[in-house]
Amino acid sequence: MAAYTQPEVLVDTDWVKQSLGKPGIKIVEIDVDTKAYDAGHIKGAIGFNWQTQLQDQVNRDIISKEAFEKLVGGAGIAAQDTVILYGDNNNWFAAYGFWLFKIYGHKDVRLMNGGRVKWLNESDKELTTEKSSYPPVTYKAAEVHNELRALVPEVSQISKSRSANLVDVRSPDEFTGKVIAPPGMSETAQRGGHIPGAKSVPWSTAVNPDGTFKSADDLKKIYLEQARVDPNKGTIAYCRIGERSSHTWFVLAYLLGLKNVKNYDGSWTEYGNLIGFPIEK
Amino acid sequence: MNHATRVYDNVFEMMPTEQNPTPMVRIHRLNPSPDFALYAKLEWFNPMGSVKDRAAWAMLSDLEQRGELRPGRGIVEPTSGNTGISLAAMARVRGYQMRAVVPNKIPLEKKILLKIAGADLDVVNDELCPSPGMGDGSINLAKTHAKASRDKYVLPNQYENEQNVLAHLRTTGPEIWRQTEGTITHLFVSLGTCGTVTGTGKFLRSKKPNVKVIAVQPTEGHDVPGLRNVRQLEVSKLFDASLIDEILEIDYELAYSRALDLFQTEGLRAGPSSGLIYEGARRIIERDRKGVGVMIFPDDVFKYTANMVKHIPSLAAGTTV
Repeated sequence: MAAYTQPEVLVDTDWVKQSLGKPGIKIVEIDVDTKAYDAGHIKGAIGFNWQTQLQDQVNRDIISKEAFEKLVGGAGIAAQDTVILYGDNNNWFAAYGFWLFKIYGHKDVRLMNGGRVKWLNESDKELTTEKSSYPPVTYKAAEVHNELRALVPEVSQISKSRSANLVDVRSPDEFTGKVIAPPGMSETAQRGGHIPGAKSVPWSTAVNPDGTFKSADDLKKIYLEQARVDPNKGTIAYCRIGERSSHTWFVLAYLLGLKNVKNYDGSWTEYGNLIGFPIEK
Repeated sequence: MNHATRVYDNVFEMMPTEQNPTPMVRIHRLNPSPDFALYAKLEWFNPMGSVKDRAAWAMLSDLEQRGELRPGRGIVEPTSGNTGISLAAMARVRGYQMRAVVPNKIPLEKKILLKIAGADLDVVNDELCPSPGMGDGSINLAKTHAKASRDKYVLPNQYENEQNVLAHLRTTGPEIWRQTEGTITHLFVSLGTCGTVTGTGKFLRSKKPNVKVIAVQPTEGHDVPGLRNVRQLEVSKLFDASLIDEILEIDYELAYSRALDLFQTEGLRAGPSSGLIYEGARRIIERDRKGVGVMIFPDDVFKYTANMVKHIPSLAAGTTV
């Protein structure tokens, strides 16, 4: 059985339990449902709000390097700390946070496999409503890895030239344009469909019933054999707002070890709204 | 308590039992076969207006007896509405707080009713992109409260609590058996937590092993509050496939049009889930022709006027000057 390319970026819930309170380890929860952290979180975990803290509040953009440094340092996380991310919805926004930490060059970031739901359903794991706070530190981002992020010009060029894989990780109904967004979502688009040339591999195909990632062998089968993602080319993953695609980006880049994998965080809420850009249904 | 005069000392004495069952009313004009006696069991005659009173009261009494509840420690429950309304009202009467975690898509009437009944409300978006492992958002948030705030909340959890089954085993099943004088051949129910089908089905089967248990469910992507499609059933630990003879999948729009038929033809103010159950019964009667059937109608239409208008837009016509 093949192993993940970088197994060290995944930790299990038991490991987290045993590591609680250890110096140099910071746990961060990032949820889709921003109420979840307040309702209860892992003891000592810091909560980041994806809407107000990880997005620039003026430009549609990820937070700047300076804002990231301020946020992370303000939460007491040092550049040499091991950061463990977890969250609801099988780590959607935790994976987005992972991607952001990697863009700003944080060395040791890991995901808690199975996320919040796995922890919640294990009887020996506790939650607390106690707010965690750590003395602020000065955090300097070591480097900026913009190559982990795809923007419209590149996406459009790849859609035309097919020089890289485009992976649409949304649900089949979003891919075919039957729905523009999952029910109840306020962020939507003018058109339903997908980027021409994209392959449909819903993000959820990468997880087991307990929310943990499937084995390397299964993931290879799903992405390389069934969906025919060409490992010799670069790959761009996208979804609706870039969080589900962060999950797939993580799988492709860290568990399968594909080269040159990018997350297109503008995703369908950008592409589906662009004037003059073709779509497929 | 005097069932003959219907004078009670408190609201809990009104709870249905074999001696004080919810009414059963025979269906006439909407029954396609004269050789099939079809009855609707009207669960809106429960004190808080739905079948969920049975499970709520059983769960609450059990928690009380086990010393899990006290002033300052109440309950938190994921609910699409009816269980929450029952639990909230009952908990408040007994002096406890109730926190209800509800999916956003439930009708506004139910959310407001929960608050009127005294519940604190958490609303979650449950259908972002359903998938394995994620679980159900309202169940997860309720479990989170119960785990993180043990001093404040205990989680009855209608999806896993055997009291939900026992309530129907002790009351709904025996009531139907007595009300039909043992002649029942078909039981028609919907699926939600599956407490009703499992408890009632188990009792009736113990009395008469060949009673047919027919479950109806709405088509996928449905908009019938309180019900679950079989593919959504994994959240319920109370689902026992061995007790069900057939599961009918019925276009969910029919839940609404049949609810209208039931009120306008039989005078039964049935809600949409009852409409769906009736449509399932009608189809089986067309096939089986003979028998004695009981449909368990979970609640009435009063909470669903907004949903009714959404699915039968003509209802809104002529309602303004």
